[in-house]
Amino acid sequence: MSDGRQDRRPWRDVGRDVDDELTFHLEMRARDARAQGLDTDAARREAERRFGDLERIRREVRTIDEQVMRERGRQSMWRDLRQDVNYALRGLWRTPGFTAVALLTLAIGIGANTAIFSVVNAALLRPLSFTDPGELVFLWNRNTDGRPTPFGPGRMMDFRAQSTSFSGFAALSHISYTLTGRGDPETLPGASVSSTFFDVLGVRPLIGDTFHGGHADPNAVVLTYGLWVRRFGGDPSIVGRAITLNRRARTVVAVMPREFFWPFITGTPTAGAGPDLFVPGGPGDVPRVAIDEDRDVRDNRNAGYIRVVARLRPGVTERQADAEVRAIGARLSVQYPQDGGRTAMLVDARTQFFGTLERPLIVLAMAVVFVLAIACANVASLLLARGAARRRDLALRRALGATRLRIARQLLTEALVLSVAGAAAGAIFAWWSVRMLLRVAPDDVTALSVTLDWRVLIYAAAVAVFAGVAFGIAPALQCSRGDLTSALAEGSTRASGSRRSSRVRDWLVACQIAIAVLLVAGAALLVRSFASLTHVDTGIDTRNLLTFAINLTGRTAEYQSEQVRFYAALQERLLALPGVTAAGSAVTLPIGGDDFGTTYQVDGRPIPEPGQEPAGGYQVVMPGFFSAMGIRILEGRDVALTDTRNSQGVVLVNETLARQQWPAHSPIGKRVRISAEEPWLTVVGVTSDIRHLGPAVPPRPEIYQPASQRSFPFMAFVVRTAGDPYQMVPSIRHAVAELDPTLAIADVKTMDDHIAHAVARPRFVSALVTGFSVLALTLAVIGIYGLMGWSVAQQQREIAIRMALGAEKASVLALVLRKAAWLAGAGIAAGLAVTPIATRPMGALLFGVTPADPLSLAAAALALAFVTLFAAFVPAARAARIQPGTLVRS
Amino acid sequence: MSDRTSVDLLQGTLTALILKALSWGPLHGYGIARWIEQATGDELLVEEGSLYPALHRLEARRLITSHWTKSDTNRRVRSYTLTEDGRAQLRAELSRWGRFSAAVTRAFDARKTRTT
Repeated sequence: MSDGRQDRRPWRDVGRDVDDELTFHLEMRARDARAQGLDTDAARREAERRFGDLERIRREVRTIDEQVMRERGRQSMWRDLRQDVNYALRGLWRTPGFTAVALLTLAIGIGANTAIFSVVNAALLRPLSFTDPGELVFLWNRNTDGRPTPFGPGRMMDFRAQSTSFSGFAALSHISYTLTGRGDPETLPGASVSSTFFDVLGVRPLIGDTFHGGHADPNAVVLTYGLWVRRFGGDPSIVGRAITLNRRARTVVAVMPREFFWPFITGTPTAGAGPDLFVPGGPGDVPRVAIDEDRDVRDNRNAGYIRVVARLRPGVTERQADAEVRAIGARLSVQYPQDGGRTAMLVDARTQFFGTLERPLIVLAMAVVFVLAIACANVASLLLARGAARRRDLALRRALGATRLRIARQLLTEALVLSVAGAAAGAIFAWWSVRMLLRVAPDDVTALSVTLDWRVLIYAAAVAVFAGVAFGIAPALQCSRGDLTSALAEGSTRASGSRRSSRVRDWLVACQIAIAVLLVAGAALLVRSFASLTHVDTGIDTRNLLTFAINLTGRTAEYQSEQVRFYAALQERLLALPGVTAAGSAVTLPIGGDDFGTTYQVDGRPIPEPGQEPAGGYQVVMPGFFSAMGIRILEGRDVALTDTRNSQGVVLVNETLARQQWPAHSPIGKRVRISAEEPWLTVVGVTSDIRHLGPAVPPRPEIYQPASQRSFPFMAFVVRTAGDPYQMVPSIRHAVAELDPTLAIADVKTMDDHIAHAVARPRFVSALVTGFSVLALTLAVIGIYGLMGWSVAQQQREIAIRMALGAEKASVLALVLRKAAWLAGAGIAAGLAVTPIATRPMGALLFGVTPADPLSLAAAALALAFVTLFAAFVPAARAARIQPGTLVRS
Repeated sequence: MSDRTSVDLLQGTLTALILKALSWGPLHGYGIARWIEQATGDELLVEEGSLYPALHRLEARRLITSHWTKSDTNRRVRSYTLTEDGRAQLRAELSRWGRFSAAVTRAFDARKTRTT
């Protein structure tokens, strides 16, 4: 009998075949020779002689055959693959409903994952755009309460001289610069940096040359790409030309490339906006102070405004360096009591830039992975149902000789084809959702330059393949396991009686419900947290409250008396504007602006050890600030312009400070001072509390000093308007220009905008997780509906018989719904059990709710119960409408 | 030397002879050898073994296929069949041989007439 399949078997034994064939030839020849009368030996010799060189021929034939086999093996592999892919494509094309639902589900799951991973990639994975960014660290003073604060110049210089862990050391400060002489004056955020700054980072400019260690023209300025394009039209000839900053000519020496990413360096890390320009430091290569730029500040240890970035010496670990700076910090604090008992600490560059983004991103990443899990479960469930429906078809194929492996491979191929197509659709969805995401994202996310780079695409591809294998494997195992005869024997109407497949699908749906509970509960927690955050009383009346910043320059900036005169004059003009009902100013703007802190001493109490003094917020205000902000004066009086540098030093304190220091008495007339070197200040008033640091941070003690007794060349103004605050901006600009045409107003925003900005990140996270949980619910509904619809179709005959025997419609409805209730119950119970564990990492993001908040859990459970029964109701109603007669007969 | 010449000649025509042998139906290697031996009067197939590399090469080119059968003595026998491609190849070889031999014959004849 011929065996047609033999040729295709890759494991055919070539050697044996060739030997058999050649031996047969020799034997036949010998037999014929014997027939002609030769004896056995002679006949054999004659056969061998005529044959020729047996060994050579054997080798030659074997070589040919082996080569052929290798080639055909390769061909058949490709042929099988092409066949599988074709088969899968044809199958998917024939069932457009299935394909559409599966593709959409996958596109959503993979797309959302890719989008979120793009952000994760930009913040947490992609290397920073510096040379060897892993070696860069930020050095901070470590306060006695563990918080990082900036250095005073003297202390910074001691660290620079004494530390041995660093191969490079650069200090910087943040200063605003008003650009004039080119259209309207504009206030720009800038940084004053050590001459070593760019060398420590290891960055090169796009054009020109930056300053280098020890070589910096004090009048040089380096522009960022953004400023260069926005204000100078990207003109390369700007290098070498002079621009006017704070009324002083500075020569542009370089423009940084677009990729140069440098945010403001603050104690609570943010990766939002950064300086627009960089100028070299002052005497001693110490970053300049905002007030009186050219003053030599080397003796000052206390004014904390200097931030430090350093590069670890090769071979020195961050841990070793941290130990060293800690020791130096402690030693200096013993040597100089005015250092206030501080030590020092290191923060690695990535944490400094993106540290506060890490946790929200992890929560978002977890949420999308759960969405993907639900999506995969849906597709697996769909494929299982499809596999069950095709059982007869597959059994037939097996009967016709296809191996189990072959069929399993085919099903897996189908799943992979589906997931690759899903990934392609997902990539488009991801591209779109990244754009959407950036539109609603807080500015520290938009600053990230989120892109779909190759890491993201690899991730998406990995997710797709993983998804394909994950949901392809179950149906593949199932179908290759199924036994032939039972599958073939089943009638066509019940082609899918596989109980196992139905049980797997029950499991999948229960898991989907559990994960959906988790996501909905997480979303509920975040939404509740966000709601309580936005309903917090900040202590400020934010209605129609416009804020802007003024940075004085030149002569007005140099003398405190001039500063105060200017502020008073501006306030007077503002109040004279029609539509302005109140105006005031303070050195730092609550919530939206900067934050000054101080320690203080209380008259009549023992002087605490350094580092043990009470601390609070420090604020300098003009008269009228409190009433303009809606802050009440609970006791005593407001500051007044009659509080001069020649009269008694006075302060107001807030109720929190009053309660802490004088719980039983009125604080009026009590005295405090900032330090032993400063004069005593008498408390003349008590104000209501505000949340200076944002809605999420409870009120802290605050000390308010009158600007007329201590002022700064920058001030934040608040203006209460009768109508739309932004309508007042032109007349405010005009009022400022009338006083000094070289001044600009900066950061023009309403207080509501500042608060919205302060809660932008929680809003972003809660909105996204809510979006994901809606996706999860939708996908779960599809899953449940699919399963229930399918199981009703399975039980049609049974239901028809029951109805023929007199069962009520209601009892049929109950039969179907009971199963849905079971699944929902199991899923919800499992979900509730894991939710408190899974939401624990969210704890730090939550405000006013705990991760195990019973209300959120209950809401999630209810939502899922409702959704499950809703999804089951349509198939149940269909079951109840079954006409017994038609089905029983068929 | 003369052996070499006949072998070279054989390599060119062996393919055509094998295809011709199989044009009447499936044969095993020995059967093909016997047919060539009888058809050419034992002139061409000097080394019978050289038939086999030729057969396997033809199979690799899909001009013939092979399958295993059992002989009357219950031995495994590899039997070859001409494919459609093989049949077309045989026609091509025959017409080429026809033209070639006609040309050679003409050449030989022409030489004879010129000398006379």
